[in-house]
Amino acid sequence: MGPESGGQQFLAGWLVLGLLVLFYGGTFIMSLFIGKKKENADGYMTAGNKIGFGVSAASMTATWIWASSVYASATSGYTYGISGPIHYGLWGALMILFIYPFGRRIRAVAPKAHTLAEVMYARHGRSSQLMLAGSNVLGSVISLTSNFIAGGALIALLSPFSFTQGILVVAAGVLLYTLWSGFRASVLTDFAQVVAMLGAVVIIIPVVFFAAGGPGLFETGAVNLSPEQSNFFSSEAFLNQGAPYIAAVLAYAIGNQTIAQRLFAVREDLIKPTFITATVGYGATVIGFGMLGVIALYAGITPLNGDTNNLIPQMAVTYLGPVLLCVFFIMILGSLSSTADSDLAALSSIAMTDIYGHAKGKGKANPRTMLLVGRITMILATAAALYFASGQMNILDLLVFVGALWGALVFPVIASFYWKKVTNMAFTLGTLAALGIFLPVRFEWISMDGITGYIVDVLGIVGVGIVIGLMCFGFFGLKVARVVGIIAMVVVAPLAWGGLHEYAVLSGSLVAYSVSTIICFALSVRSKQEFDFSTIKERIGDFDTQDAESGEPAISTAQKN
Amino acid sequence: MTIFWMTVYVLIWPIVVAGTLTVIVRAFYKEWRQARDEGRGMV
Repeated sequence: MGPESGGQQFLAGWLVLGLLVLFYGGTFIMSLFIGKKKENADGYMTAGNKIGFGVSAASMTATWIWASSVYASATSGYTYGISGPIHYGLWGALMILFIYPFGRRIRAVAPKAHTLAEVMYARHGRSSQLMLAGSNVLGSVISLTSNFIAGGALIALLSPFSFTQGILVVAAGVLLYTLWSGFRASVLTDFAQVVAMLGAVVIIIPVVFFAAGGPGLFETGAVNLSPEQSNFFSSEAFLNQGAPYIAAVLAYAIGNQTIAQRLFAVREDLIKPTFITATVGYGATVIGFGMLGVIALYAGITPLNGDTNNLIPQMAVTYLGPVLLCVFFIMILGSLSSTADSDLAALSSIAMTDIYGHAKGKGKANPRTMLLVGRITMILATAAALYFASGQMNILDLLVFVGALWGALVFPVIASFYWKKVTNMAFTLGTLAALGIFLPVRFEWISMDGITGYIVDVLGIVGVGIVIGLMCFGFFGLKVARVVGIIAMVVVAPLAWGGLHEYAVLSGSLVAYSVSTIICFALSVRSKQEFDFSTIKERIGDFDTQDAESGEPAISTAQKN
Repeated sequence: MTIFWMTVYVLIWPIVVAGTLTVIVRAFYKEWRQARDEGRGMV
């Protein structure tokens, strides 16, 4: 962004340094309040499974909102017009709601779990655990990289500092307050970050709206919109943005360890209000920021260098005064830091539980060594993310890859918590086959002419039924899910037949769902396995049974209740 | 959409966010007081 854009205000170097010290210094001081000389290994991963509604709702909201979602929603508003932000933010928000019944089931089956991969180990065995843990490590490192890139880009855009200096400061700041207390620091600081983020939304959106012209903008700027962009029920927006996003975020919500970790940490009776509040908070915040993209469209603003990721900072420097520009800076810093610290906490939990804990075996893991493993993991993950971020690599393809991997895992994971017949073989082969078919479809490695295109269409139509069916299953049970899933397939079939394969992103995701479901179902339905879910509770428990402060045996949540 | 409804459409989100923020802050404050009274940490 340059001064030639006109009327824009940038932040001086000393001011940016002051804001960074204020933000990261403040969060670090917050983490000192909960710091313990001898941290408890289970507390480091799940905060003792008993955090309250205020902390958990703030944390779930802050974690789900990352810098990319703010930028992407505005991009959607700018590209697809007035319905664009809905097709990004609403579906993302509803996915938090749709996974809450599954969350309750997972928590009931494994109340003392630390990671979802750990539960899969107890349910199936090593290969299922490795697939889930591996996808989470990849996903969290990519997410961490993405957030560092967003921080570096923001600092480089608004201040005299370089991108490299920006990512170094952000990485050091996040690591500083997360390293010692892990997940406990992550959830507590999420509260301050969510207050900064949501508070900024309340102020910034109306200010930008009225500075850009207020209601009159919709009259004067209407000529800048195409008929499709002016249409609230735009099919283009739904097919290119909404539909692929529905499929992708269901996978992200189920497969992501940062969400699972909060699910295992919140008090069991507070899961429902936590998820509902996060749904509303995430949806309104992200759709609200999408409105900045809509305003930019009406105002005839062109994204700097043609990059729509510049839209939000561009709107900020164009319409906000120095004070609100500082508020905006803190808000974006809050959104990326809250997700980055969650990624660090997720990665450390996976290393502690799924690598060290299971290598040692039940009852043999040393909690002190476990904590060391967690902290070293955080440092290594930060270094890796800094390395990837410094190359400013395009992480979109990697994100799509992880999304597909999680899409391929959704049915096997959910079925494993409800259906006694699902086997390790069905889980593993279903996921691998889905991934094997997803890649050529998504990246168009094979020609979609002729019969291949029709096969992809059929699998995609089945995928629609599975996604809709899974959403209904959590709330209404199997019978309703089957009926609604079949109706969805029948309704979609005439529209999708012969054309769905032309939408590579959408059909790739849907194929991942359908192939994994078909294979997992086919291999399980004739299985004689009758898994006893109550055994998971017995196999998964605390690693650190000594209270960190007193040396006395810790009081478990179950005992307290 | 008319100008009126477009204005509502843009400005409704900060209002919903303000409501959500109020709910979260009140719950956090209540939990903080409860934890302080009981002499334990919040997380």
